[in-house]
Amino acid sequence: MAVTPTESIAEQTERAGEPLIELAGVEKVYRMGKVDYRALRGVDLSIESGELVAVVGPSGSGKTTIMNLITGIDRPTKGSVTVDGRRLDEMSEEELAVWRGANVGIVFQFFQLLPTLSALENAVLPLDFARRGSHRERFERARQNLELVGLGDKVDHLPAELSGGEQQRVAIARALAADPRLVVGDEPTGNLDSVTADEMFELLERLNAEGKTVLYVTHDLELAGRAHRVVTIRDGVVAA
Amino acid sequence: MISAQLRKSISDLTRRRARTTFAVATLALAVASIAFFAIPTLIDDTMQQEVRANRLAYLSVSIRPLPLTADQLAELAAVPNVAAVEPRSSVNARVLVGERRAQALVIGVRDFARQRVDVVRVESGTTPRPGEVLADVQDANVGVYDGDTGDTLTVVGERGAAERARLAVAGRGRNLDGGEIVQDEELIVLYATTSTVEELSGEPEYSRLAFELRDKSPAAVASTVEALRRHLAAVPGFTGFDDLPDVRAPGDWPGKTETGQFADILSVITALALLSALVLISNTMTTLVAEQTGEIGIMRAIGARRRQIAAVYVTTALLIGALGAVVGLVLGIVMSSLLAQYFGSQFWAVDVGFGVDPTVLVVSLVVGVLVPPLAALPAIRRAVRTDLREALEATGSAVGGLDAGDRVLRRIAFLPRTMQIGLRGVGRRRRRSIATALIVALAVGNLLAFLGLSAAATQSTRTAWDSHLEDIRLWTTGRERFDAGAARTIRATPGVAEAQPALVNGVELAGEEAFVWGMPREPLLDYRLTEGRWFSASEEQARERVGVLERNIADRVGVDVGERITLATADGRASFRVVGIADNQQEDGTVLYVPLTTLRSVLREPAAVDTYWIRTTSPDEALVDRTATLLEDRLAALGYETGGEVTYVLARDQIAENRSITTTIAILGFLIVAMSMVGLANAITMSVIERTREVGILRCIGARARDIRRIFTTEGLVVALAGWLLGIPVGYALNRLLVWMIWEVVDVRVPVVFPPWNILLALVGTVVLALLVIFLPLRRAVRFRPGDALRYA
Repeated sequence: MAVTPTESIAEQTERAGEPLIELAGVEKVYRMGKVDYRALRGVDLSIESGELVAVVGPSGSGKTTIMNLITGIDRPTKGSVTVDGRRLDEMSEEELAVWRGANVGIVFQFFQLLPTLSALENAVLPLDFARRGSHRERFERARQNLELVGLGDKVDHLPAELSGGEQQRVAIARALAADPRLVVGDEPTGNLDSVTADEMFELLERLNAEGKTVLYVTHDLELAGRAHRVVTIRDGVVAA
Repeated sequence: MISAQLRKSISDLTRRRARTTFAVATLALAVASIAFFAIPTLIDDTMQQEVRANRLAYLSVSIRPLPLTADQLAELAAVPNVAAVEPRSSVNARVLVGERRAQALVIGVRDFARQRVDVVRVESGTTPRPGEVLADVQDANVGVYDGDTGDTLTVVGERGAAERARLAVAGRGRNLDGGEIVQDEELIVLYATTSTVEELSGEPEYSRLAFELRDKSPAAVASTVEALRRHLAAVPGFTGFDDLPDVRAPGDWPGKTETGQFADILSVITALALLSALVLISNTMTTLVAEQTGEIGIMRAIGARRRQIAAVYVTTALLIGALGAVVGLVLGIVMSSLLAQYFGSQFWAVDVGFGVDPTVLVVSLVVGVLVPPLAALPAIRRAVRTDLREALEATGSAVGGLDAGDRVLRRIAFLPRTMQIGLRGVGRRRRRSIATALIVALAVGNLLAFLGLSAAATQSTRTAWDSHLEDIRLWTTGRERFDAGAARTIRATPGVAEAQPALVNGVELAGEEAFVWGMPREPLLDYRLTEGRWFSASEEQARERVGVLERNIADRVGVDVGERITLATADGRASFRVVGIADNQQEDGTVLYVPLTTLRSVLREPAAVDTYWIRTTSPDEALVDRTATLLEDRLAALGYETGGEVTYVLARDQIAENRSITTTIAILGFLIVAMSMVGLANAITMSVIERTREVGILRCIGARARDIRRIFTTEGLVVALAGWLLGIPVGYALNRLLVWMIWEVVDVRVPVVFPPWNILLALVGTVVLALLVIFLPLRRAVRFRPGDALRYA
């Protein structure tokens, strides 16, 4: 299997003139029972490295579908998805899993932590899957990430022992585990109160300032306004 | 128009097709296993038809061969209470089957067209004329002789080894008693006219009288027996009944007791299968309801009352029940009919029809329909009582992870992360893990118990045969007892190292069938005393009424060393003092060993010997075979009709026979194991299904297929291994229970054997089967696309 998980992180230089993310003529049809549902109807979208991009749109417009395509969680029915020079639509599920583990950090709306693992274990998990570094190095890195999100004192807590905001911080620490160039959030603050949401967003801004490309889906127009660029999706196409 | 509630129940079932199929299949297996209870009834129905067609005798007596005229027979038929009499002659013969000499019993029928009792029916071919025989249908079925109409049998008559008669096979005949002889003694049974038997034996004599009685009450039977004895006493040459008169209990048929015993053991196995299935169903129903905690919350939030919610899930459970009951009934009827047909043709060569036992049918339906709702009730109760907010937030899987058990699991940090996740998953779904482990434990327990039983049966048979120091046993079947001339001939036969005389008699002890063996003080039997002593030389000399009793019958009738017992013998009652208890398992542990001299005096036959125990000069099988043939020929030349057994052949046959029975039991045991594995598959599938989203998340953060596989394999194996561990004591207890049951029901003492290699075998079996049943759900788990997995609800 031609998988080189670490290629794009440390060694690969930015591809001159090429966007980090490129969606070309992307369509996505979901089969819902006997009915086909066209979530995306031909999306062209380019995102440069280092951008802070918000994807907005009403419910069912196709925002989450775009995020899923960019992270290789879903495959386009038509068109191509290229991230960091790699055609995700041509990769196998196994290649995608390895690629994601090394290149993308995903933050979900409902945190999606493993309930039986502690904060530290959750944060170290992507490194375990990527088998990167020694046992000690992995834990060291995960601990640093947890300190970065302000949870250095709660590393041994289980998700059930943490508040919503704290759980989302763990989720961010987990997303940062492999030091990805791209951090993607699907309503990352949607389940948090406004103060915690603000703190979370500051964290994402800081990551962007450090050079990471950050892309997030949101309903919150104020939060969207803090992005460098806002992509509006309506009825499965990019409206603006 | 169906209600919304019913629609939800139906859609709950169609939405999770795999799980519904599992639940229905499990229930169907449970319901089908109930149908096993119908097997004895199905067989009994057929056998009762056979009894009627056969006009099976109510009373039959064996006598030393005696010539009876038509007038004498008419007198016997006129004895009060006798409705009909049928005399049978017989001759033991050696038949050449190919080049092999085989023992055969040719039964003489006075008039095939006018049989009134114990009818030999012509199954195929024609009624035999003089010089012709019918082969019993069981001959081919048991495999002792498979010739049919048109074949010719070469019979070596007892009188004159050189004299060879040729008999044409006219067809196949059927007779319940004859068939039983083929089964029990593995003799070729042939039916011929009395003139043909007379030709072979040289005597126009009858050795068995079968009677149909009018009044079948015990008192009437007893007085009829006495009346017959008196009548026969007037016939010159009558020396009394050869054995206890054979009285058939109402509804009885040859082999019914054994069938009943087998059915009892089958019932225990069925009960165990049912128990496993019930745990399985309860587990499945609990999962089904627990998974829908969120939906239950939604229903409550929009105003559904607890009773209404419960009704939805009870309906779902009833639907599963109805489906399972219908499938199970069909499966059960087919399976039980096939098994009954198999047993029927295997043991009695009868065609058991396709039948249904109404009681079993009703029980199956009731169990099938009602068990799932009852099993689901506790889970429904829990679900409707959960705090509404918690219920609304429930994702279908328990959060867990906070108590002492979980903390212990979290300390196991040396394993790879994926294995840790799997291990903690076991703790997280504790209730289900325990239920699944229990199912596996039951399976392992059953397996260990049956394997132990199988080993024990073989060991017990070996024990019984190991105590035989003789290589050949010979006995008289004709009128003559062995005399001094016979003894000299036997001892002078090349190959004979030692020949011991013995006398064997069938008796009754406290209503139980037993045997008394008259033996020398130092017999060719390695007696194993568990209590007391063997009889002494002085007791032998003084013909004292002392004996050593087998442990089985001693336990059953409650006799200890030093106590007196009274036996009913063919010659009246006789009392003996028990001086020892032996555990040699002879005649299934029903023998009283007494001095030969004593038994002779009891039977008033001072020099009687009917059996010789013979040790050959070498245990070489060829030599033993040669010696046995030579002895038969020499004794036949002296005019003796003999029967014989070669110890090594008999031991081998019996071990093989035991093995086939224990194999049958083991196969049924394996069925239970298979059912339990369905349970494990069910649990793992559930676990994978309800964690589909979790699999999606793991894939999103970089988990490869092998990582996912490792998580669920760990989970499955941990549960399976816990089940295996729990199964060891369960197996030991079950083994003891089965051994106790066999002792209580079949009166056979089987040792408790629990070899450690069986435990290892079960471990290997559990791991392999667990990996196999995990395979499919795992394949599903790793094939899920992360997007589909995240959207899975």
